[in-house]
Amino acid sequence: MPRLRLIAILVSLAGVAVSIYLTVVHYAGFVPACPVSGAISCEAVLSSPYAVIAGTSIPTSVAGIVWFAVSAVLWARPRRSFLLAWSMLGLLTVIYLLFVEIVLVGAICLWCTAAHALVVVLVLIAVGRK
Amino acid sequence: MSARRPRPVRKPVARTPVWVAPAAVVAGLALLVAVFLVIRWYVTPLPPTPLPSNATADVVAAITTLPASEFETVGAGRANNLIKPIQGSALTGPNGRPEVFYYGAEFCPYCAAQRWPLIIALSRFGTFSGLQTTTSSSSDAFPNTPTFTFRNATYTSQYIDFRSVETTDRDRNPLQSPSAAEQQLVSQYDPGGTIPFIDVANRYAITGAMYSPDVLAGASWQTVADALKDPNSTRAKAIIGSANLMTAAICKANADQPGTVCSSSAIQSLEKNLK
Repeated sequence: MPRLRLIAILVSLAGVAVSIYLTVVHYAGFVPACPVSGAISCEAVLSSPYAVIAGTSIPTSVAGIVWFAVSAVLWARPRRSFLLAWSMLGLLTVIYLLFVEIVLVGAICLWCTAAHALVVVLVLIAVGRK
Repeated sequence: MSARRPRPVRKPVARTPVWVAPAAVVAGLALLVAVFLVIRWYVTPLPPTPLPSNATADVVAAITTLPASEFETVGAGRANNLIKPIQGSALTGPNGRPEVFYYGAEFCPYCAAQRWPLIIALSRFGTFSGLQTTTSSSSDAFPNTPTFTFRNATYTSQYIDFRSVETTDRDRNPLQSPSAAEQQLVSQYDPGGTIPFIDVANRYAITGAMYSPDVLAGASWQTVADALKDPNSTRAKAIIGSANLMTAAICKANADQPGTVCSSSAIQSLEKNLK
């Protein structure tokens, strides 16, 4: 298996793990291990109305679990068109969530940022792949 | 036999380097983040000027003289019940009464939110003086949340004692320090260091705000005080709901005294949900 594919699968699995952690935190009702300093506040982001999928009580991180899991499957048997389309969906979601964090909530959640960074890494691998 | 013609050499096609697309994605994201930061800076309201003392007195009077029917109608409202039972030796104040201990900071937006219901709840057992208006930090989450500060406030009650520590001002400059005993309470019951932290006589502990500071976004003190008169308003449901929950905890820690407050049906109902 080419090295980039292996990296992409590992990054996807890391994303699943981060998303599961955020989902557990949501349902358990406790504050994630996260420094509170200046604009960094996981609590501010995760207690905001944007922390759940609009119109539901399902945390956004559940969508993260699904996205990263599908990503891992796609990278196991990569087809360029599927990977690019899936990556663009992830990138657009990350852009929306960055807008929510920076503009609407005014705080950055480090765990969410970790998940966003993993999405961006997967996007970079997908668009940079020959 | 004819001489072999040389095969035409294909002119190499200039291909886009592999790194261009990823670099474009990174640059685009960086640009978007910069745009978002500019939008955030543009839409963040300036902190309102603190009220003069007579206007502050009017607002404090408005929120601390709400009719009993208001508390009854709202009940728990839309407050999150963050009250956790704790078991420690009874915490009493300098006058030997059950003590409510508040630990927070002026910069903190969650403290800003929680002070409103705390003042309302405590005012059902006694009287504040010296409260001043302020706002949370301009550079934190929920910037410039309107609130009050306990830094120069005094509280008198025949039922409970109240102690407060505001560790920093809204610009994070050091302000007040807890005593060794108070620091021990914080370390023991709030090991995560979340503020605000409220200890109700070592019977109950509350960490964090019981409603989102977003409820107060962009409002003046007077606007919030006016909203509390309408039990159906979002602000009343959040703030009075939180005040009722804290009132129930204080009542339980103080043998349901005074009866005029603690025997109301709303408080009795909420007490049943406290362990």
